Amino acid sequence: MTTRTPPRLTTARAPGRLTAARKPSRGHHDRALFGRFRHGYIAPGALLVAGLLYLPFLWTVYLSFTNYDGLSPATWAGLANYRALLHDPALLTAIRNTLIWVGGTTLLPVGLGLLVAVLSYNIKGGAWLRLPFLLPYAFSGAGIGLVWGVLLSPGGTLNHVLGFFHLPGAHTPLLSYAPLNTVVLIIAMTWQQIGVNTLLFVVGLQSIPREPIEAAKIDGASGWALFQRVIWPLLSPLTTVVVGLALVASLKTFDVVWVATQGGPGRTSETLAVTMYRDTFVADQYGYGSAVAVLLTVVTGVVSVIYLRQQLSRRERLNG
Amino acid sequence: MARRRAVTGARVLVLVILGLIWLAPAYLIVVNAARPAGAYNPAHAWVPSGSFDLLANMRRAWDAAGLGESLGSTLLYSVVSPAIAILIGALAGFSIVTLRLRHGFAWFMLIFGGTVFPSQMLLVPLFVAYSRFNLYDTRFGLILIYTAISVPFAAFVMRNFFTGVAFSIFEAARLDGASTARIFWRMYLPLSWSALAAIFVLEFTFTWNDLLFGMTLAQSPGVRPVMPAVSALQSDVYAGTPVPVALAVGLLVSLPAIALFLATQRFFTRGLTLGQL
Repeated sequence: MTTRTPPRLTTARAPGRLTAARKPSRGHHDRALFGRFRHGYIAPGALLVAGLLYLPFLWTVYLSFTNYDGLSPATWAGLANYRALLHDPALLTAIRNTLIWVGGTTLLPVGLGLLVAVLSYNIKGGAWLRLPFLLPYAFSGAGIGLVWGVLLSPGGTLNHVLGFFHLPGAHTPLLSYAPLNTVVLIIAMTWQQIGVNTLLFVVGLQSIPREPIEAAKIDGASGWALFQRVIWPLLSPLTTVVVGLALVASLKTFDVVWVATQGGPGRTSETLAVTMYRDTFVADQYGYGSAVAVLLTVVTGVVSVIYLRQQLSRRERLNG
Repeated sequence: MARRRAVTGARVLVLVILGLIWLAPAYLIVVNAARPAGAYNPAHAWVPSGSFDLLANMRRAWDAAGLGESLGSTLLYSVVSPAIAILIGALAGFSIVTLRLRHGFAWFMLIFGGTVFPSQMLLVPLFVAYSRFNLYDTRFGLILIYTAISVPFAAFVMRNFFTGVAFSIFEAARLDGASTARIFWRMYLPLSWSALAAIFVLEFTFTWNDLLFGMTLAQSPGVRPVMPAVSALQSDVYAGTPVPVALAVGLLVSLPAIALFLATQRFFTRGLTLGQL
């Protein structure tokens, strides 16, 4: 560390005061330069995070091995909660729905976002053509749940719009049956999220170096071939991030489902995050709800690790 | 050349068609939110009503659902928590990068690791602990958790930002006799305002849009943030709240975050690029 001190320092106003004269140990030097209370600057952050994020996390892991209703003291239950998870039909529905969410919201908003970005990139008025896709981003997850819950309600606005255009689904109650209710909510989320992905991809396209594209054009590549062979590989670091973010967010889908359907009817549109909330705070099974939360965390962790490893090995293949 | 023009034309055409599909729900929401509260009929939802009752519908929700109180509290949380979190995150980044804390990266990982797990892992203990320590349904309790959840991201950006600040600034100020606290407060904080602003916008939006912590840790209308209030509203759309009012609420609660984003857009992109240094 001391070697990083610029030499300029010794020729400054107080020559040698900090470096030459007092240099018996690194600690001594650091204290002179940085003061005694360096750790005081990190303490608020470390304490807050430890107390309100790490401690509850560990507590939830413990509670997942107990029977607990929030009133009487928690009693040790071993693996009983996890064994019960295996035989819970609502949980299977939640896992299935969560997987549909993961597939749907990593494919649709990312794919359509990329499409809009590529189509609108480098043409006159591109920013204006992108505007309709950016507007819905104003809505929060709860806001989307609220307005789409209304639009999608049985015999509601969307049914009539479908009927007006003689499209199928005019008489289908869109939020009443699984897995249709999950699919239409994914479409609602796609409506909201395409904008931010478009923006990210436009920034990505702008930061692609010109030379490889010009070289490929000289070689005669254009249109789809140019995109597939040159642009898509150059975008892949960004795509990795965008898909990764969508993946993790989709595993935790809660707001839009809770506000639009509360996981119903009959728990058919629940995701893991909704199941956790319902089991805990509606059914007062704090231990069981904690086990669902742990499951959600494990699934999120495993999926993230698999995704990152696959992306890394893919990049190694491309580079080597 | 002709072929190229045809390709561009096709691109515009696809974008316009997709754009119209994307505008349709927005149109339905705005038209029906502006409809007189009693005049909603799903069969004619796409026909404008001719009158503009958007503000009346918003006012009606404001009064009936106690949304006014919720909005005030939410504004308090969304301003105060990110502000404190940014200060704490900047302090942490400053100590790790500029004060060259020993095991600085381990400290950083400790703080940043706080955002890795899903919020669901925090809910039960927070609910139980908040009930026990009289923090449940208090504004202080919500500010506390929103601050804690905002610290890791603030520390992440500020650590990156301070890495790009020349260390000689610190040394020069020290040689002039300035205390560490003074150097932080008078030099490093003002220096990083664009990054601070960018973090603030993102964390304001996050706090404003939060549903989960708000509905778990508060219940009374004056304390509960606005998104849980909105979700309670939806539960009785068919029983009580008329559709135009519900849609007007959906627009109303979306306004502050988007207004802040538009107002700060320029600093925002600049701050983010700086944060990535």
